[in-house]
Amino acid sequence: MTLPKNAAPLAHTVTDAPFDPEAIYQYTDAQKSLFEASQLRLMWWKFRRHKPALISAIFLGLLYLSTLFSEVLAPYNLHTRHSGSIYAPPQSVHLFHDGQLRAPFVYGYDFKLNMENLKREYVPNTDKIETIRWFCSGDDYDFWGVIPASFHIACPAEGGSLFLLGTDRLGRDVLSRIIYGARISLTIGLLGVGVSLVLGILIGGMAGYYGGLFDVLSQRLIEVIQSIPSIPLWLALAAILPITWSPIFVYFGITVILGLLDWTGLARTVRSKLLALREEDYVSAAQVMGASSFRIVSRHLIPGFASHLIATATIAIPTMILGETTLSFLGLGLRAPITSWGVLLTEAQNINAVALYPWLLWPVLPVILVVLAYNFLGDGLRDAADPYK
Amino acid sequence: MRYFAALAVVMMALVGSAGAEEAPLLAELVASGKLPPQAERLPDEPRVMQIDESTQRTPGKQGGSIRMLMADQKDLRMITVYGYARLIGYNRSLELKPDILLSYENEKNRVFTLHLRPGHKWSDGSPFTAEDFRYQWEDVLTDPDMDRGGLDQVFLAGGKPPKFEVIDPLTVRYTWETPNPLFLPALAGARPLDIYAASAYLKQFHAKYADPEQLKAEVAKEKVKDWQSLQIRMARSYRPENPDLPTLQPWMNMTSPPSNRFVFDRNPYYHRVDQNGVQLPYIDRLVMNIAESSIIPAKTGSGESDLQERYLSFTDYTFLKEGEERNNYTVRLWTVGRGSAVALFPNLNTTDAGWKEVFRDVRFRRALSMGVDRTQINQVLFAGLAKESASTVLPGSPLFRDELGEAYASFDPDAANALLDEMGLKRSPAGVRLLPDGRPMDLIVESTGESSMEADVLELITTDWADLGIKVFTRTSQRDIFRSRVAAGSTLMSVWAGVDNGAPTADFSPQEFVPTDPYQLQWPMWGTYVSTHGSAGEKIDYEPAQKLVDLYGQWLSAEDDDQKRKIWAQILDINAEEVFSIGIVTETLVPVVVSNNLMNVPAEGISSFDPYGYFGVYEMDSFWMKNAGQGN
Repeated sequence: MTLPKNAAPLAHTVTDAPFDPEAIYQYTDAQKSLFEASQLRLMWWKFRRHKPALISAIFLGLLYLSTLFSEVLAPYNLHTRHSGSIYAPPQSVHLFHDGQLRAPFVYGYDFKLNMENLKREYVPNTDKIETIRWFCSGDDYDFWGVIPASFHIACPAEGGSLFLLGTDRLGRDVLSRIIYGARISLTIGLLGVGVSLVLGILIGGMAGYYGGLFDVLSQRLIEVIQSIPSIPLWLALAAILPITWSPIFVYFGITVILGLLDWTGLARTVRSKLLALREEDYVSAAQVMGASSFRIVSRHLIPGFASHLIATATIAIPTMILGETTLSFLGLGLRAPITSWGVLLTEAQNINAVALYPWLLWPVLPVILVVLAYNFLGDGLRDAADPYK
Repeated sequence: MRYFAALAVVMMALVGSAGAEEAPLLAELVASGKLPPQAERLPDEPRVMQIDESTQRTPGKQGGSIRMLMADQKDLRMITVYGYARLIGYNRSLELKPDILLSYENEKNRVFTLHLRPGHKWSDGSPFTAEDFRYQWEDVLTDPDMDRGGLDQVFLAGGKPPKFEVIDPLTVRYTWETPNPLFLPALAGARPLDIYAASAYLKQFHAKYADPEQLKAEVAKEKVKDWQSLQIRMARSYRPENPDLPTLQPWMNMTSPPSNRFVFDRNPYYHRVDQNGVQLPYIDRLVMNIAESSIIPAKTGSGESDLQERYLSFTDYTFLKEGEERNNYTVRLWTVGRGSAVALFPNLNTTDAGWKEVFRDVRFRRALSMGVDRTQINQVLFAGLAKESASTVLPGSPLFRDELGEAYASFDPDAANALLDEMGLKRSPAGVRLLPDGRPMDLIVESTGESSMEADVLELITTDWADLGIKVFTRTSQRDIFRSRVAAGSTLMSVWAGVDNGAPTADFSPQEFVPTDPYQLQWPMWGTYVSTHGSAGEKIDYEPAQKLVDLYGQWLSAEDDDQKRKIWAQILDINAEEVFSIGIVTETLVPVVVSNNLMNVPAEGISSFDPYGYFGVYEMDSFWMKNAGQGN
């Protein structure tokens, strides 16, 4: 075949039959829904199959939900002290008394101070049957610090006690304190990771996409921040927070401190990913089509390594929770009267707790569970974010 | 009983015939001739201690070692406190007795003549004579070259130093123009006044005696600024850091700091013997291991200490009790000898003008005191075993009266609020009271963070005072920083314990209840002012405090006991009425862990730094190991 002269158009025909994409191969409905599924839907399908991740997600979801209703869930107010029940061991819930089924109840304690070793001894008294009250009116509290109320899911019997995880040295219910502590400990992670994600993506993204002077400066800044030993820095920053600040500000301050220190690693990864991805053809195509930098980064580049971001974030949240726990444990982070799991563990930080009052160490359990759950969740999400793999 | 009598006879026989048996640690040295035998080491007239049934003790035998736990190298000083060899020392009834001295004469608290024991030797074998007093007085304390910033307060009676005389090689005399009742108690203190020093050893570090070249070399070797610093460092006797420094204490340091383990061996030339002629101390060796203060209770509970009171607190009692059988020790409860186990001190010299105005209003201090629920604190933290009381002397003191302990110490939030309302301290809508200058009453209480008990007390007080409309915050800082911050007036309130000597007689100085010392937490500036005779600090501009200083002046020149008692009563009354410090509980108990092998440690005692020196007044040199050589 020879080319037409003078660059005249090639001869071609256009059929007017309607286009049928399935003319060659008939897709089944299942295939159709798979191929037409949105990214999110694909992720969900994949995620659903990762059972540990799913269970973790439900577990974490419930925990976060509980932080909205801590006051209602906890049988006691955070600050209620029972000076008659100091270091009371956990009371177990019974259903049977003398072989008969009853509503859930606990046996009341007989308290005696052993003058020999000055140990507070609590003996369950099987005559004192204290039936747990449900959906009841108990300790007063201000719901979310505003609305005065006294409604609880479960309350001790009138005049009785309900210390399912025992009490501490001032006679405060450990379970209630763990429930309230979740509010701080779980959210401090979110806020901190939020700060570090935004900073990391923004700074790393700009450094990677634009390069040049900004890249050089930001990389040197990251090196400086990473070279600062973290514990002394935390010490200094924690000392700067004024003592008269309301505890909630201190809490916010600590979060921001944690976030401000944590973004550097993420920024580096984002930058290196962008350096690689910005040379891809589809980026050039988008540039040729006149897309703005912001659109290119956010629509074309970030989804390319979203799985990585998700993994980083879900691993960073438990790191933050542990960080808060560590800081508080060292006495640098949150302070009483704020109650977080770290604060609770600080109070259990002596030989007496380990040897005589082991129930004070219960806050360790939620810390472990939450950190594990986040790791499973992150695993599942990372797999899910690359659904075609 | 018969056994001991028999033992005594045997001992006497030994003394009579072959001289006393040598301590296991020294036997070899004596045998090889490196150390003279005991008879030659003792002073001609050793101090004979009655260690028998009459003092509820048993005569012991020499040997063995005691392990103790301490948190800091600075705690080396505890050995000097525990050892308690003083020129003059207190006995258990707090009477002054000559100890290192053979005798002394006191003429109306003005002229003090001290007689040394003939043949008394330092731990290196050099003689202990009047020259050691002269050296300390002329070449150290009053030598202008030493530039020590003036004499200690105790030396200045009526602002004037004493006249020092050497009467003969074994007699010295200090003469003041006006009475100085503080002198003898200062010599007997847990931290004694240094009026003698090992001159033979220390002269090599003094420019007046040393060869300049050699001194220069020493200064360079020790990396100090000048020879004065070198002299001070080498002569440090209270904190015996220098193993070469001769001592008169029962045990001498063998280890150069820094170290995590300090060993103290018996002083072969120690001046005390028991009635059987056995040289004290019975214990050959003290081993002091350094550990973090927070794990000392745990280590003690696992049997790593033979004798421990320091860094243990009442809350550890139950835990320590659990380890008793397993680790072969007994936990005893001694009474804390401080005037108040925990007390809060509003800083009347704070630099914060708003707070200063409020603190100086007696109604405010009374309201704070009445706003504390002491009964709850006692129940929660001390199992109800302590006594709720204002900050004053202990009931064991002859100066105690019930009304002193009860003054403004009963929980009455209504009366407290009424007082605060009367002062015109308005509440903000949030319920927090406002200072006269309009700021909210955020009261920062400083603590050293050394005891968890203080933190717990503060936590309970925080809720009590919240009902008064005062928000309490706690700031912890390290002890040295804490003290300097208080002294600088940059603190509002601090938490510490009450007076050191909780059970004084009228003969003891009332100085702890009077502005006399820069380290007093309630009035550091006035304390500085008084102690420096007005050259530093702030002039007292608060009438009751000035009254205290005047009364103290009267006490210093008082001659008879009746007058002293009356002055004491007035001083205590003013302190009770003015609530300069807010006492919480008193007569708390502290566990003392004693190995079952260690004999002669009293079952009950008073734990206090001054005047008891913890084990000092209980004569630690009389403690002995039943199974010496076993277990360690």
